[in-house]
Amino acid sequence: MTTEDTAPAPDLSATIWAEVDRALSGVTVEPEAGVLDLIVHIPRNEVVRGLRALKNDAALHFNYLRCLTAVDNEADGIDVVYHLYSIDKKHNLTVKTTLPVDDLRVDTATTVWRAANWLERETAEMFGVRFNNHPDPRTLLMPEDMDDTFPLRKDHPLAEIQVLQGEGLAFPGDAAGNEEGA
Amino acid sequence: MAVGPTTEPTTTAPAAPTEAPAAPSTPAIPTEHPNEAPRLTPVELVPGKALYRSVLPGVMQVPADLLLAMGRKSSLWPMTFGLACCAIEMIATYMSHYDLDRFGIVPWPSPRQSDVMIVAGTVTKKMAPAVKLLYEQMPNPKWVISMGACATNGGPYTRYDRVLQGVDNVIPVDVYVPGCPPRPEALMDSFIALQELIMEERGSIG
Amino acid sequence: MTAELHPQHDFEFETQDIFVNMGPQHPSTHGVFRMVLEIDGEVVRNVVPYIGYLHRGAEKLCETMDYRQGIGFMDRTEYLAAFNAELSFVMAVEKLMDIEVPERSQWIRMILCELNRLSSHFMFTGAFGVDVGVFGTAFTYSFRERETIQDLFEEVTGDRMMYAYFRPGGLAWDVTENFVQRVHEVLKSVRQGIKDMDGLLTDNEIFRARTQGVGVISAEDAIDWGMSGPSLRASGVPLDIRRDEPYLRYSEIDFDVITGANGDVFDRYHCRVREMRESVKIVEQCLERLTQGPILPDRMPRMLRTPPGEVYLRTEAPRGEYGVYMVSNGGNRPWRLKVRSACLSNLQALRDMTIGHYVADAVIILGSIDIVLSEVDR
Repeated sequence: MTTEDTAPAPDLSATIWAEVDRALSGVTVEPEAGVLDLIVHIPRNEVVRGLRALKNDAALHFNYLRCLTAVDNEADGIDVVYHLYSIDKKHNLTVKTTLPVDDLRVDTATTVWRAANWLERETAEMFGVRFNNHPDPRTLLMPEDMDDTFPLRKDHPLAEIQVLQGEGLAFPGDAAGNEEGA
Repeated sequence: MAVGPTTEPTTTAPAAPTEAPAAPSTPAIPTEHPNEAPRLTPVELVPGKALYRSVLPGVMQVPADLLLAMGRKSSLWPMTFGLACCAIEMIATYMSHYDLDRFGIVPWPSPRQSDVMIVAGTVTKKMAPAVKLLYEQMPNPKWVISMGACATNGGPYTRYDRVLQGVDNVIPVDVYVPGCPPRPEALMDSFIALQELIMEERGSIG
Repeated sequence: MTAELHPQHDFEFETQDIFVNMGPQHPSTHGVFRMVLEIDGEVVRNVVPYIGYLHRGAEKLCETMDYRQGIGFMDRTEYLAAFNAELSFVMAVEKLMDIEVPERSQWIRMILCELNRLSSHFMFTGAFGVDVGVFGTAFTYSFRERETIQDLFEEVTGDRMMYAYFRPGGLAWDVTENFVQRVHEVLKSVRQGIKDMDGLLTDNEIFRARTQGVGVISAEDAIDWGMSGPSLRASGVPLDIRRDEPYLRYSEIDFDVITGANGDVFDRYHCRVREMRESVKIVEQCLERLTQGPILPDRMPRMLRTPPGEVYLRTEAPRGEYGVYMVSNGGNRPWRLKVRSACLSNLQALRDMTIGHYVADAVIILGSIDIVLSEVDR
């Protein structure tokens, strides 16, 4: 979950915000200071354009996609998160885009970095996010016939433990039907 | 197997008791912990009744099931079926520090020529059909050792619904080894228990 | 291709590509990995990898676990380099909670992580030797050294493989009193072991003929596919997180970043062997600088609650960049834990590396990427 900007203007002078702002000049972007890296929020219909601009920009040159994943925020939608790195300039950036709960589609980033291929396949099968124009939209980690439920969503329950011996053998918390045992 | 001393065939008493050459069975293995389940009954060596009898010079008479069982247990070839972390401990048990080769146990990649399948690691629902197919490809007699907590009941991953809660949902298991991962000594102990199991059920399997 | 085998014919044979399935149970796929090779004669035309046979849901289960319970899951995600995996997780919690780790803990963490890198690279050279055809010798030698290192780990943490020794803030308990002397003994044995493995494989004519020029990937392709670790450095890209974004006390240690020239299978192997020597150097320097002192900060809360926020923390595991993306919404469990797996990203490049080579080369190319399936599938 992202923190709210309590201050009117967060202090981003130590980060690369100025250059990112210039590179993403045609794109709506909203910055946030993260714990380690700068985080920018881009709306979902402009995110791939923004990523391509970040990769092709000469000063920033984000040529390495570190990680692509999603975060389920329940009612607030699903955030797709891209972590970028520039190997020669050695700086990091996190790009986030929010998808509303009823319309989980976003363009694929495989046209920008080939590394996004399997990462998007995994995000798609774990969260139900559809990446438009993905070259290979099969399941990656799930069996092919189990692609209708999405395990990493918050409303997907944990499995019941099979009780194999002893009738009436109860585990602590079983009476309440508690699934989220620690 | 060395041939024991010959005896006169005319005497009515059975052959002199000889030391069993290669039978590792001992009488009544005591259990150490009061809550530990009793071990499988080993082959009792009754004094005066040897395991084999020498009928003529160079000919010995052994119960067939005993001979077959001793042959099977002394040369168990496991199929290398390492799935996850337990595979590393299984490999460490094969290697020189905790040598399993001295028991006659040689890892063999092909299921068609192996005797025992060590399911070492978590079995997921995606992998379960492959496990069943491999089990069915093994010729009889075959045994299964379920190594580690994951193969026994799902282990630490038992609450995830893509994990099979125990490999005994798809194949029958003979020996369960607890641990995450089990120490190499525990795996050796499981092989010894399997050897005792083979001796014990020697009349019932073909 | 097949027409070249019969030069006296002047017509092309009509042949059909066949599909060969390797895995998920296969002696050389390093775990439950399946690839379907489309081959023309003996040349691979296409590779389709299938993974997910070991997907156990560590990320989902960590969302139900406390920050100390989750450490055990990270161990099992990368079981050959468990200390490095625990390190990323524990450092992510520390960054979120802004905990300062005492100096002694940092040095001990570095020593254990580098020793774990050594044992993981020993496993690699052993398994790679088996792939190339040195059927048991390389494996037996490398496991002998692994047992030496694992004995030390067992003395310190109590377990041979799944340590669960790092805690947010430092370590679970202090190391044994003879730790420094024991590490020196282990290093002496490890140096000899590296010499043995090097002597067995590196200058072997057959090994070089099999591995040089095979499975080449260029630096631009490797970067585009998101590779990391020794597989990327073998293509000439000097990306090492210990040097570029130093964590723990790597900025105070003197070591070289090993790169290769060609990006072929031999370079990936040789980078790892040279990295083993660098790791020995790093451990020696850490032992000199090891200080006495506390291993946990003074005021560690009993229940770890992280403030809302997120962090992506990456460390250099033996296989590449092992990243932990942790999102917290306040509370004692992560809201989302994503493990950025080095092996998954390295494995994506398998297809590009294998096409055009023989089937036997496909096996050694897969071996040279050094995958651990539980990290690929989590």
